[in-house]
Amino acid sequence: MPARIMKWIDHRFPLTNFVKHELTGYPTPRNLSYWWNFGFLAGFVLVLQIATGIFLAMHYKADIALSFDSIQHIMRDVNYGWLLRYMHATGASAFFFVIFVHMARTLYYGSYRAPRELLWWTGQGLLLLLMATAFMGYLLPWGQMSFWGATVITNLFRATPFFGDQVVVWLRGDYTVGDATLTRFFALHYLFPFIICAAVVIHLVALHTVKSSNPSGIDLAAKDNIPFHPYFTAKDLYGLGWFLIIYCIFVFFLPDSLIEPANNIPANPMQTPNHIVPEWYFLPFYAILRSVPDLVGGVLAMGLSVMMFAFMPILDRSRIPGGAHYRPFYRWQFFLFIIDMLVLGYVGYTPPTDSTLLLGQVATLCYFGSFFIIPFVSRMEERWLIKRGLPPAVIELMAGEAAAIERHKQSHEQRKGARL
Amino acid sequence: MSKLLIALLLCATPLAYAHETALTKVAVQTDLPTMERGADTLMNNCHSCHSLKYIKYRDLMKLGISKQKVDGWRGELGLDTPLLAQMSESDALQSFGTAPPDLSLMTKARDGGPDYVYSYLLGYYLNASGVPGNHIFPETKMPDPLGVSGTSDPAQLNSIKDQARDIVSFLNWAADPQQSARLRLGYYVIGYLLLLTFLLYLVKNQIWSRLD
Amino acid sequence: MNDSGRRNFLIKLTTAFGGVGVAATCVPFIASMDPSTDVLARAETEVELADIPPGGVRTVAWQGKPVFIVHRTPEEIHAAAASDGSIDPQADSKRVQQPEWLVVVGVCTHMGCVPNKEGPGWICHCHGSAYDDSGRVIRGPAPKNLEVPPYRFVAADKIVIGKA
Repeated sequence: MPARIMKWIDHRFPLTNFVKHELTGYPTPRNLSYWWNFGFLAGFVLVLQIATGIFLAMHYKADIALSFDSIQHIMRDVNYGWLLRYMHATGASAFFFVIFVHMARTLYYGSYRAPRELLWWTGQGLLLLLMATAFMGYLLPWGQMSFWGATVITNLFRATPFFGDQVVVWLRGDYTVGDATLTRFFALHYLFPFIICAAVVIHLVALHTVKSSNPSGIDLAAKDNIPFHPYFTAKDLYGLGWFLIIYCIFVFFLPDSLIEPANNIPANPMQTPNHIVPEWYFLPFYAILRSVPDLVGGVLAMGLSVMMFAFMPILDRSRIPGGAHYRPFYRWQFFLFIIDMLVLGYVGYTPPTDSTLLLGQVATLCYFGSFFIIPFVSRMEERWLIKRGLPPAVIELMAGEAAAIERHKQSHEQRKGARL
Repeated sequence: MSKLLIALLLCATPLAYAHETALTKVAVQTDLPTMERGADTLMNNCHSCHSLKYIKYRDLMKLGISKQKVDGWRGELGLDTPLLAQMSESDALQSFGTAPPDLSLMTKARDGGPDYVYSYLLGYYLNASGVPGNHIFPETKMPDPLGVSGTSDPAQLNSIKDQARDIVSFLNWAADPQQSARLRLGYYVIGYLLLLTFLLYLVKNQIWSRLD
Repeated sequence: MNDSGRRNFLIKLTTAFGGVGVAATCVPFIASMDPSTDVLARAETEVELADIPPGGVRTVAWQGKPVFIVHRTPEEIHAAAASDGSIDPQADSKRVQQPEWLVVVGVCTHMGCVPNKEGPGWICHCHGSAYDDSGRVIRGPAPKNLEVPPYRFVAADKIVIGKA
């Protein structure tokens, strides 16, 4: 009977074919390391956020007079409301953590390079959507940090040429962040995850067109690809186990470590807390904003700093295959960039003083500098490597792949010849 | 690459709490006698001005405080009435120039959490000219509630410290009444996940061994 | 057990173990839709009876539903005790704890409308069902008598409606 049902469906919809091609039989490089788990984890966290979010929305009230109380209602009165809320709040941090690792892996292994530019750019779009969703969600508890965070970020749009002030008022629907702002942020915070889902589908279509990259940075011959199921389903689920352990330690034992204390005070438009900071995942970008002593310049720098990643396929034109693994200069650059991000994060967290301001400005220059020097560094690195001889591993890899492709071609020709 | 992971983890945990005056650490208690003593002190000394609006009298009974005592506190009020301050906000504004904050979330709403509240309660002092002040929150309008500034007798000082710890322990419960349920469930969940991850590890190894 | 047998067993065990976890994860989600504690607190309603005169009716909210409390006169008690009703026969003595106090949930057993007090008894204007002064249905389409909620006398003139 199930076989007959499947036949009936397949006659009308390519279900079996789809599952076989895109899920179970999807060819995946066998040498993927655990750094390749994070795409799947991001998808998992997205589902988790949508599920907890929908159930939270059943109890939440998007009204400035009620929203703070409704969060406390969820935390105290709703059955397991505290669990759903902590899962959702921790999930936001987990989402960014997973995405940052996913991006770091792409940068390290050069996965953004041809032919994966569109894949990388759809990912960049997903990052922007995620940031917008997280920012709007952060207003909903209507605490002091929510209010002042939203005030500062909507104020960034004053940098819009000609219509700055009007744009800010239009975004808020009020002269300050108010009831209209809260309600629209709730509506959009509920909508955006579904746009993210659609964008994820586009991301996956792009992925399945060019297939996964791998640590060697060279596309493997067919013989080194293995079906996604059961190999990578097993590996992804094992990785998920570790992710859930860390996630649940935060949810059950350290949930408040990710919530700023000031957000447990209801929003007060008449008084700004002494020290306002964004969530940790926005800190480096916030530091760049603060480092530029000009409103428009700061906003542009911050916007650009998020968008810089999109330029990577254009900036990195090295002919050395693969990513940082076989490129010593690029590897150094990568780790220095990560350190620079951490410095920016620290600067974004601390209250602005003269010394942190200077540190932030230096780190901002390093941030943009590390992108702009890539074309020069990679050319120098290329010359240096060729002069010294490519690393044996690369030569071996390239030769091995070339031979395999050649053999594959020959056997293909032979088969064609035999058929003729 | 493991360096990267550690670095990112460090980034995820909140960086050091910046605070001008060092806070005194407090060992928050979760046993009923301590919390009940804290509730007693709070209801007698603080509740006239401070509300605990997210706590209802019924919640106190759920915590384990006897019905008799709760009935004594609530008088004619229903069990589902929140613990609002006895003093109206406008009266408080007249007397202190500021509205006394609600205490339900106090141990979560300040950098340092329970340590902050504890240090604040014990932070009162008399300066050279005998004017009272507070080390932790100099702008405070609240008069020294436990009388710590006028005390020099060590035994009395210790009993005040105990009182402050009891209050903080009670407030810590009030800020998060589900905490004990959360921790209890947490141990089961982590235990389950460790076992599941171990099984998944075995499955993954067995499946990948087919490749060799 | 051979190698593939062991592999099968391990995979089955892990699948079952993971399935238990997924099922357990559903519990908080489903439970969060149950009434929250502040709603459950409304499960009981206290009613003072002293200010309801004989012949008077008071409607109180219990769990968000209307409850009719009738202070019946001796004639009404007599009339109610005289018959057992027709559609859903039940003795009046089974429907009251004290004959002068009738306590019934004011929700028509047909489609859930609230019947109106009219003359002796109630008439539901949604579909025309009629009830007598014991809350028993005397004209359809309602299939059953008005429900008697659990209640108890905590004093001579005070009742608590809710878990008896």
